[in-house]
Amino acid sequence: MVMPRNSPDRALALVLIAPTIAVLLALTIYPLIYSLKVSFETETGKLTFANFSRLLSDQFFLSALAHTFVYAVVALTIEFFLGLSLAMLLHEAIRGRNLVRALLLVPLMLPPVVVGVIWRLMLNSNFGALNGTLKRFGFSTEALTWTASPKLAMASVIIADVWQWTPFMFLILLAGLQAIPQEPYEAALVDGSTRWQTFRYVTLPLLRPAILIALLLRTMDLLRVFDHIFILTEGGPGFATETLSLYIYRTAFRFSNFGYAAAMSFVLLILTNLISVAYIRMLRAQDA
Amino acid sequence: MKRQSPLMTRWPLWLALAIVTIAVGTSSCSRVAPPGKSLTLAINSGVEGDALKQAAKDYESQTGIHINIAEFPYANLFEKELIDLNAHSGAYDLIMLDDPWFPKFASLKVLSDLTPLLQKRGKTDPDNDFVATAMALCREPYATGTLLAFPYVGNSQLFFYRRDLFQKHDVKEPATWDDVLAAAKAISEQETSGAPGGGKVYGYVMRAAQGNAAVADFMPIFWAFGGEMFDTNGQPTVNSPEGIAALKFMIELGKYSPPGYASFNADEVGAHLLQGTAAMSINWPAWISSFSDAAKSKVIGKMEFGQLPGAKNPGRAEIGNWLIAIPRDAQNVEAAMDFLLWATSREQMKLSAQRGNPPTRKSLFTDPELVAKFPSYPAQLRSLESSRPRPRTAQWNEIENAFGIYLSKANSGELTPEDAMNQANAEIKKIIAR
Repeated sequence: MVMPRNSPDRALALVLIAPTIAVLLALTIYPLIYSLKVSFETETGKLTFANFSRLLSDQFFLSALAHTFVYAVVALTIEFFLGLSLAMLLHEAIRGRNLVRALLLVPLMLPPVVVGVIWRLMLNSNFGALNGTLKRFGFSTEALTWTASPKLAMASVIIADVWQWTPFMFLILLAGLQAIPQEPYEAALVDGSTRWQTFRYVTLPLLRPAILIALLLRTMDLLRVFDHIFILTEGGPGFATETLSLYIYRTAFRFSNFGYAAAMSFVLLILTNLISVAYIRMLRAQDA
Repeated sequence: MKRQSPLMTRWPLWLALAIVTIAVGTSSCSRVAPPGKSLTLAINSGVEGDALKQAAKDYESQTGIHINIAEFPYANLFEKELIDLNAHSGAYDLIMLDDPWFPKFASLKVLSDLTPLLQKRGKTDPDNDFVATAMALCREPYATGTLLAFPYVGNSQLFFYRRDLFQKHDVKEPATWDDVLAAAKAISEQETSGAPGGGKVYGYVMRAAQGNAAVADFMPIFWAFGGEMFDTNGQPTVNSPEGIAALKFMIELGKYSPPGYASFNADEVGAHLLQGTAAMSINWPAWISSFSDAAKSKVIGKMEFGQLPGAKNPGRAEIGNWLIAIPRDAQNVEAAMDFLLWATSREQMKLSAQRGNPPTRKSLFTDPELVAKFPSYPAQLRSLESSRPRPRTAQWNEIENAFGIYLSKANSGELTPEDAMNQANAEIKKIIAR
């Protein structure tokens, strides 16, 4: 809504919104520009392109980038299919639906650090609940060292992410399902479509905006994952679960190389933006 | 569509508002100089910092100088101090620092030279009661250079082992790493249900999580086998035959360590020892007191704390002292120096020792009252006097991180010992070239 230029409301609106803009400028825009400047500086403040050219020859950076994408793609896929299935299931009027819905939201309420600690204890290969349970059922757990195994460590951190964030996917998809009107389903019924056909040609297309929004938000989150990996494995064993955020953190605050850390942050920012723009294009394409 | 948005035409107004708001915001955050007599200390939250906090309270009541404590967990302390020192903000008058950070701070030239301050007080040098290896850490260059700190907590590694199991299986006390391996094998094979809960006792337990943990547990083996991280020209040599042999030995020892040790940190190692599910490890003095605490320990009176085993070279522990320094930009350098000398005096350090911190003064390690309370003091003094510092370089954090990643990869089976050491060497070379 655009107010007439001479409206007294307009002046008031500007005054009211000014503090927000000022805070945004001070806390978001200024640091962003400052960090861009830092990314082009050496430790002594000289202008350089070295921070960016180092990226391609840095084995640690490249594998952290690869880990980030593996992590994001696998977790996103599992969370999406699980979330969609749960949303479909709990959209139906089944018994105990409200209780299950409430329970499903519990992981979302926990800080990721707490989730990290919970899973660290559960996955502990010697005293943990998971191996303890498996042992009770007669499985050998000698090889199941979870966070200590280069093969299982990535799976371990993904499991914790899926546990915490599937409910988020579920919540958005459920809201999407509930917003679909009844008429198309009635029409499909009259036309004699099967359950699969109804899902494929009625539910999915109408759920598309919700799906895209859920995927967009989760993708942005997954690409910058830090907290629970830091608690669970600290990027280990070796480098097996080091994601870009962890490596950036280490570079900045452990090795005090803020320029290189800023350069990596910008790469992550650009990649995240490219992917987000792709999602948003898909959303728009549907509106048109 | 070319119509300009009416909201945008007022941008000068927006800008003015923003600038005013920022100006008001930043001026109100600028530092107000502290009133006359007060000191601010940055300390580590934990037993080391707690003792200093107590001392600060005593100092406050004795002298009337107000002391502010800024307490941070270990993981954040370094970055908080570094940011303050780099920004020359003078927020802290005294800082506690872990000795591996010292070369970084010293290279940035952000710490006060303490010798002129000592001279003002009629002294030329710190008194010679301080253990030489501890005092050496406080100088840049190492041992001979400018005095920039005082040692406060005298930690160095010890070899922890179960005396009862060594006697039971009649194995030799661990004087060499070969003895350790033989004992680890014997105990692992025979104590399949000897743990307090009826489980297996592992012969050895170590920390091989990437980073500090793996490196700290590897260095004593590496040195004993004749490995050196750098040659005399400062070039990395971790992939020397001695270095590779040491890593192979670590992995061999890992076979008698609980599964998953490649991700162990201090907590896991401590838990295994306290629960009686592991028989030996390299560990730090801070853990000693928990072994006689019935609430935590299932092995009361069964542990022995000895010297690090040797191999080709005699065994030497890694030193890990807490130092106290005065930032160059501190607001009250003189008052800070008075406090520093007071806190590291014999009387005060004795109180700190009673609060659980190993001292850095020889006379306290042999003090009868303290030895009665801490029977491992003679062993700790021997370990400290023969200890070695981590390689002294401003890039240590980065080198340790890279080295630790490859050690952890070798221990988890992801890389062979040769590949791990070759890659670590190449990575360290890149770091020091930057």
